[in-house]
Amino acid sequence: MTARTPKSKPAPLCFIISLLASTLGGQQPAASSDALLQHAITLHQAGELDDAIRAYREYLAVEPDSVQARSNLGTVLARAGRYDEAIAEYALGLRKSPDNPALLLNLGLAYYKTGRHAEAAARFERAVSLSPQFKEQVTLLLAVCYNNLGRYKDAVALLAPLEKDKAGDAGFDYLFGTALIGDGQEAAGTAVISRILSRGDSAEAYLLRGTLELSAHDRDSARADLEKAIALNPRLAGAHARLGELLLSQGDSERARAVFAHELALDPDEFTSNLNMGVLAKQDQGYAEARRYFERALRTRPNDPGVRYQLANVDLSTGNLELARRALEVLIAESPDFAEAHATLATVYYRLNRSADGDRERAVSQKLMDRRDALPAGTKPR
Amino acid sequence: MRRWWAVAALCVAGAALWVAAAGAQPEPRRPHFTDIAPKSDFAYRTDNNFTGRKYFPQTMCGGVAAFDFDNDGRMDLFFTNGAKLPEMEKTDARFYNCLLRNRGDGTFEDVTARAGLLGKKLGFSFGVAAGDYDNDGYQDLFICNAGPNTLYHNNGDGTFTDVTERSGIGTKPKDIVSVAAAWFDYDNDGKLDLIVSNYTVWTPQIDKICAVNGQEYYCHPKVYPSVAHRLYHNLGNGRFEDVTDSSGIGKELGKGMGIAIADFNGDGYMDVFVANDTVRNFLFINQKNGTFKESGYEWGVAYDENGNAHSSMGADAKDYDNDGFPDLFYNNLKGQIWGLFRNMGGKYMSYVSGLSHVSRLSEHSSGWSNGFVDYNNDGWKDLYSSNGDIDNMGEISRQPDTMFENVNGKEFRDVSAQLGPDFNHAGFQRGSAFVDLNNDGFPDLVVTSLAEKPRILMNSADNGNHWLLVNTIGRRSNRDGIGAVLKLTTASGRTLYNHVTTSGGFMSSSDKRVHFGLGTEKAIDSLEIRWPSGIVQILKKVKADQILTVTEPGR
Repeated sequence: MTARTPKSKPAPLCFIISLLASTLGGQQPAASSDALLQHAITLHQAGELDDAIRAYREYLAVEPDSVQARSNLGTVLARAGRYDEAIAEYALGLRKSPDNPALLLNLGLAYYKTGRHAEAAARFERAVSLSPQFKEQVTLLLAVCYNNLGRYKDAVALLAPLEKDKAGDAGFDYLFGTALIGDGQEAAGTAVISRILSRGDSAEAYLLRGTLELSAHDRDSARADLEKAIALNPRLAGAHARLGELLLSQGDSERARAVFAHELALDPDEFTSNLNMGVLAKQDQGYAEARRYFERALRTRPNDPGVRYQLANVDLSTGNLELARRALEVLIAESPDFAEAHATLATVYYRLNRSADGDRERAVSQKLMDRRDALPAGTKPR
Repeated sequence: MRRWWAVAALCVAGAALWVAAAGAQPEPRRPHFTDIAPKSDFAYRTDNNFTGRKYFPQTMCGGVAAFDFDNDGRMDLFFTNGAKLPEMEKTDARFYNCLLRNRGDGTFEDVTARAGLLGKKLGFSFGVAAGDYDNDGYQDLFICNAGPNTLYHNNGDGTFTDVTERSGIGTKPKDIVSVAAAWFDYDNDGKLDLIVSNYTVWTPQIDKICAVNGQEYYCHPKVYPSVAHRLYHNLGNGRFEDVTDSSGIGKELGKGMGIAIADFNGDGYMDVFVANDTVRNFLFINQKNGTFKESGYEWGVAYDENGNAHSSMGADAKDYDNDGFPDLFYNNLKGQIWGLFRNMGGKYMSYVSGLSHVSRLSEHSSGWSNGFVDYNNDGWKDLYSSNGDIDNMGEISRQPDTMFENVNGKEFRDVSAQLGPDFNHAGFQRGSAFVDLNNDGFPDLVVTSLAEKPRILMNSADNGNHWLLVNTIGRRSNRDGIGAVLKLTTASGRTLYNHVTTSGGFMSSSDKRVHFGLGTEKAIDSLEIRWPSGIVQILKKVKADQILTVTEPGR
């Protein structure tokens, strides 16, 4: 389940700016270039973003190794909403100063702003490990990243110690509730939902409860709560994605398609919607379209085995047997219990006339599926 | 062709007319179906004895066979029925099986008792397969039961004799539930063998109870064990040998449902597809030495495109795109995607549910018996499915059947709504058979539905298309000619393919005569029959719109 923060967001963390040329560390720029930098900073402070960008670039043309100027340029680019360019500048800065926590933090923020939560989380984690004082600033952002990446256990570990102080804060409660529910801690999640609802109607609480009900296959209740959440806040992140999942489970793929598309209009990187739109496109054998959605989903969760499996299936279906084979071999090396991947790899091997390999993968897949079948049955009607 | 038409229209009447002509797609005239069952006096209703408690076998009840038991040229009907639960006995007449003799005037006579087919001792019955196992010219019946299975020999005088015991075909492990069966000659020795699809081990005593919020539902199949299907080799003289293990069929454990028989790789030997419920599907490729190799993975039909096993139900194998290789169609439950697979030159199957639109068309239906049938005689086999939810808990548990019309062998469109109110009856449909009951060359449908009288749906046969029905009589091959592959070439050069089989769908057995729709063509240039014996017979200049009986030549 994804969870971008609604209403009450984590306290915004500002990009860290090195505003004074005097903080330029050991570097001693020439007087003329120093003036250029001062000019850039002045423009930056005045909010003249385009001029500031130009001025920083002029300075960097003279002093290309200035980490601080590079960082400031990234910051002003980010402020102008030009995140990709900002990311490029921060990355150049980090080449010169790989353990610069401020740069790492800024880069993390830029990634966060572009929805690249895996990259953001990695930079936040590194920044905090280098400068523990950043921890308080990044905790909530990191938790958002973890929730979006499906790393619910990590999010719970991060947020649980804060519950005593922050319980009652709408943003925190939603974030924590999402993590708990994602982690399968239903009772604790329900307690957080009750806490939110005790303060009155809340779209976030209905979304969380709907999510819980969906995972318990109580589809009627889930539908009612999810529709209530959307009615209260039509732009609530993740609500349409959950409703789409519900509709899919009820066999209504037409409406699910529309609902996922709605979610993606709000957030083009929303994982579940991209994944399911990809699956639906693949079902229609629109393989190019499916590939686009899956690749988008992989941007959000770069190593997600489910998405990589789907992409391998697209390769198999489009006759790219070698590509499918390579992807599946890596996948089963990483996830040896992925029964479906073994089954598909068996088919790929057979198509490649590698019968012995096919037989081996088939046996593995069968063993895994038998083991799964031996688990106690669920309690839901078919 | 259409482009040429459009250009001509432009020349005559200008751009406006061109637009109209190019945009206009005249809908073909479609036959519809009318239920004639109410005209006949018979008591049979599909009775699964649902009284509140949900026993495992109740979801599967009402097998149907279409066959001409008295060889009067008119196809008759046989239905299987349930039993009192938990006693598992046909305690009274409402559970008896039923044989209806086709009077030829649109009505049927219940001759079950006279024929000796009431099946009082059979317990809960499921599927039925018709085939002339002893080559005496009369089709016999095999019935799948929760208890021992039953083989009825057709005595040729309107009566049947239970020969299970002496035939040796009744052997199966204790408490195995058999749901479907198919006759075919896997070793081409001229005698029909039998494959039986088994579901699980079950008795009322070990029936599981599943409930949510105090409401009972039919348990997920996972709570019951998978079992091997069984193969019986016909030894002649009315005897069979259980070759399940020696043939390799017994190596795989599944939850068997429908069976489709066809020569998928074109090697002259019949192969077997078994649809499994929540377990991967099996494709047993005939190794031509009395053994089979399960090749579902190689052929790409074990799972769907996502590597998932679904609740596969009915199955059929016919050539829907007329390329000479039998394709595969299985259905499953609502929210899953029915599987349509195109045979790629006898080497593997390509999943085409999406390209053909079957995925979108099927997602709202829970299908049971199914099949390829050219209901409108346009030469393209359409997809039929009898539908109804597994349980009675949802809002749309009762469902109408569906007919997806084949558009030039590439894609399908749902024309169900246009096939008349009787076709669109919503129910818990289960078994179904394709049969030409009035010999007018248009396939009729017979469909069972839980707790209801079956529907006998007559095709209105009013679109003017032409046809050919071929009744094969084997001499060196099995007498039914099951397994014979037919290639028909029309005068215009169009080639159509089909093969002789009575199996298909779920729990059901269809008219053995091979049906060809010819569209507007009246002339057949040639009809080639490749018999299971290997003999190839070619008939030239065959007249359309007839039932043609073809006897296999001697070598």
